[in-house]
Parts: sequence; C-alpha cells; structure tokens
Amino acid sequence: MLRKLSLWAASALIAFTSLNFELQESPGDKLIGVWEPSNGRSRIKIDKIGTKYYGRVVWLIEPNDPETNLPKTDKNNPDAALKNVPLKGYRMLKDFVYQTDGTWSEGTIYDPLNGSTYNCVIKMKDKNTLDIRGYIGVQALGRTDVWKRLATAPAKK
Amino acid sequence: MMRRRIWALALASSIGGTLWAQSDSSSAAEDDFSQYDNLGFVDAGAKRFCSPKIEGLSPAKLISLGYDYQGAYNLSASNIFKVEDGTYALDPNGQPMVVSRGSQAKVNATYGVRAGFNIPVISKTNLVWQMGANYWNTQYAYDEPPTTESNLLHQTLSEHGLRTTGVNTTVFKPLDRKNFLLFQGSADLSGTYGIEFMPAQYLRYSAALIYGRRPTEKKQWGLGLARTYRVGEINYIPVVLYNSTDALNKWGAEVLFPARAHVRRTINPRNMIFAGYELEGQSYRLWRDPASGVDLRNEDLEIRRGEARFRMVYEFSLKDFIWLSVQAGYRFQYRFDVDRLVDGVEIYRAFGLLRDDSYAQTNVLGNPLYFNVSLNLVSP
Repeated sequence: MLRKLSLWAASALIAFTSLNFELQESPGDKLIGVWEPSNGRSRIKIDKIGTKYYGRVVWLIEPNDPETNLPKTDKNNPDAALKNVPLKGYRMLKDFVYQTDGTWSEGTIYDPLNGSTYNCVIKMKDKNTLDIRGYIGVQALGRTDVWKRLATAPAKK
Repeated sequence: MMRRRIWALALASSIGGTLWAQSDSSSAAEDDFSQYDNLGFVDAGAKRFCSPKIEGLSPAKLISLGYDYQGAYNLSASNIFKVEDGTYALDPNGQPMVVSRGSQAKVNATYGVRAGFNIPVISKTNLVWQMGANYWNTQYAYDEPPTTESNLLHQTLSEHGLRTTGVNTTVFKPLDRKNFLLFQGSADLSGTYGIEFMPAQYLRYSAALIYGRRPTEKKQWGLGLARTYRVGEINYIPVVLYNSTDALNKWGAEVLFPARAHVRRTINPRNMIFAGYELEGQSYRLWRDPASGVDLRNEDLEIRRGEARFRMVYEFSLKDFIWLSVQAGYRFQYRFDVDRLVDGVEIYRAFGLLRDDSYAQTNVLGNPLYFNVSLNLVSP
C-alpha cells in the first residue's frame, strides 16, 4: 500500500513538473534556435537563461586568426582582460527580454570586429527571420541586419 | 526506511535538474561546436545578399561636426567685364567695359564649420537607404579688408563668405551575394547667401550610379557614371569604386575615383590612419544684396570652385562610438573661376571638348596647408 502511494506521489510530481514546464514556456521562446547573420560568416545560438535571452557564437566561417593560425579570440575587445577569450562560445547577445509588443529588447549586441557593444532590439519578421537592429541611444541611429533560422538537424547546403 | 529516503532524494534531484534545465536552455553538450558545421536554412527559399560594407572598412559617420582651416595665400582676381546679349559690352573706345577691375589680395585664413548627418531610413538585407544633410560655411579673412574699390570677388568673399547647404541620399541595392547597385544623389544650395536661403532655382544636383561586385568579405569594386561639380562646374564622368582590406586587416584601400582615394593603415579597429586625396568642389551663386552696390544677381555669375586636398588623416575612437578625425595636408587649387550663365543655363564644357567659352573671371589662388578636425558619431 505504501509502495503504491509512493508511486502515485512520484507520478503526480512528475506530471506537475511537466505541466509546470509547459506553463513556463513563453511566446518569447520562439527566439530560441540557431541563426545566421546576413554576411554568413558566423552562426549564433540563442538560448533562454532565467527569463532572458542570450546568444553565443557557435560557428565561424574563418575560425582561426590568419595572423596566428590559432582559434580566433576577442582581440578587439577594449577590455584587455577579455582579449584572449575564444570567440567561439562568446556571448554576443545579452539580456534580451520579451515584450508584449512581440519584440525582444533591453539587450545588447557585441560586434567582435570592432569591440563595440550596442543597444539592440530584435523583431521576428516571420518564424524563420529576425530583424536585429543595433543602435546608439535611439533606434534611429542604428543599422538592421537580417538573420535566418538554421535547421538544427544537419542538412546539405 | 533508508531506501525510501534515497528514493525521495533521487526524485528531488531529478525535479531539481528539470527545473535547472528550464532556466537555461543551453547545455554542456553544445560545447561540441562541430554540430553547427553543416546546417542549412529552415526556409529553403531564403536568399543571401551582399552587405554594403567590407571587413575592415572605416566606420560610416552618422553625425559629424567639424572645423576646417586653410592657412594664408594670395588670391589674384582678374577683371570682370560687362556682358550684354551674350557678348562683352563695349565702351566708346571699343574696349570691353569693366564691371570690376582685377586685383590681388592676401587672404590670411579661410575657415568655417562643417556639419553633416546621415540617418538610415531603411536598413534591410536586400535594401539600404540613407538620407542625410550637410552644411558648410567658409569665411575669408583678408589681410586688408576689401573696400568698395576692390575687385567684386574680394568684396563678396570678405563680406559674405561661401556656404553650402544640401541634402543627400544613398541607396544600396544588393542583387545577390556578389553583385550590387549603388546610387548616390545630392541637391546643394551653394552661394553667398546669409540667413535667408537663395531661391530653389539655384539648387545644383549631383548623382552617381555604380554597378559593383563584392567577390569576398574584404573586397568590393564597381564602375559607374557620375554627374558632379567636384571640379567646380558640371561634368559627367566615369567613376571607379574600390575598397579592400588585406588578409591580416592591417592595410587597405578606400577609393571612389576620381572623387577620393586613400590608403588605410589599421592600427586596430579603433585607430586608423589614411593617406591620399579628395577632390572638393561646388558651384557658388554670387548672390548679393542690391542695396550694397552692384547687383551681381543680374550678372548671373557663379564661382566654380574645384580643389584637390592631398592629406593624412588620423581617425580614432575617443569613447565607444564617438570618433575624432584629424586631417592635415595641402590644398591645391584646380579652379576658382567665375562663370557667367547664359539665360540662366550652365555651360557644359566637357573639359573643353564640347565648348570653349571664356570664364567671366579667371582667378588664381595660392596653395596653403590646411587642417580639419571633426567629432563624429559612427554607425554600428
């Protein structure tokens, strides 16, 4: 009897946990995935940590620094302590919060080519296309790049 | 009892792990980056387009506020003759009637503010459209202030200086991953006007259309045609675009020939040095208050200013997106002549190939050193 009760309690807990998981999925989670910027030179995987969204570099068309022939690091970062951090794995999108208007904002985007961090807002044009706008202070002073969603299962290019 | 505790602990750990997974959708397995090597677009019809920039290119300026200063030089102004019905009016002796006698004067400095901005209107992968505006003010400080007896050019420059106010637009249309079209257009009001603008009929239009290719991330080139006032008067000329950066991102070229051409040395992405030249030019309406004497408006006169600036430029980031640009060099005069329009229509000489009309006034300027400093907000 006690064993049956324990099993029932365990099943209920697992069901509750699964339900809880379903309830915690937000409309903003559609941002999660692997994306490719328009220049095709990198791929960014966007994940959710807590209630915010982050994106890190997972692929580079040119993974090695032509000067050293070693894996590229964040050598243009103005912070000397970060210059040796590998670019692959680097979190270049930070702190995005999903808003009721369907955008992800309050975050920043980092450009490793010049070591600058910009304000950024993300809009989903359709489920496989993002408008990523980096800007300085106000959105009018910025530039938009279009990112495309990649299939996470290997596919022939 | 002990077994039940262990089981409960295991269950709690399991739940805890699940909750942890909810708060971080990434996982340690993703450190195997090779899984991202061979991915395709979810949307099979997605097209890639080339970007307007190449890697290593100097940053575009969104807002710029600068000051330009030229050192001392002599300005030798020739006679201005009276014209009636398209020909020189003659005095009783049969000689051309002089409106203003030629003279030479020393200009101690030529200086002024230069401001501009460029704002992206549309910035998409398949279309980039920017709009901008600019204002240049040029003042002439004479060693001895011209009098009413001085040549009209000296009087005009000393009292009014020259101004250019304009709007411009740039459209970049990528055709695919390698090919693109680039259009640049501007409308400028240039002259001796003050607080009040001149009538819009004196707007001067420039434009360029370029077909280009971007074979790699570090090189783009293009060929096109431009309508330009860069040598002072209207011309239609071929243009060549060439931007490149070497493999180590140390050296590069930024060329829009013949307007400008620079070699770039990149110390790091926030410090760049350039060596090269830029052609500057405009057509300035001599617009003068009739109450001040001779009404030059009736003379239909315009200064054709064209000059080359051979220079070194140092651009660097002061803080984040705020850059300082410092340039110094040699200002070489190509033309500073006064042209008389015929019934309000500009004379298109095509470097003398189509027409060979005389200028109303032919002027010679010395070639001084100059410097320019500007504070800029650069684009992401």
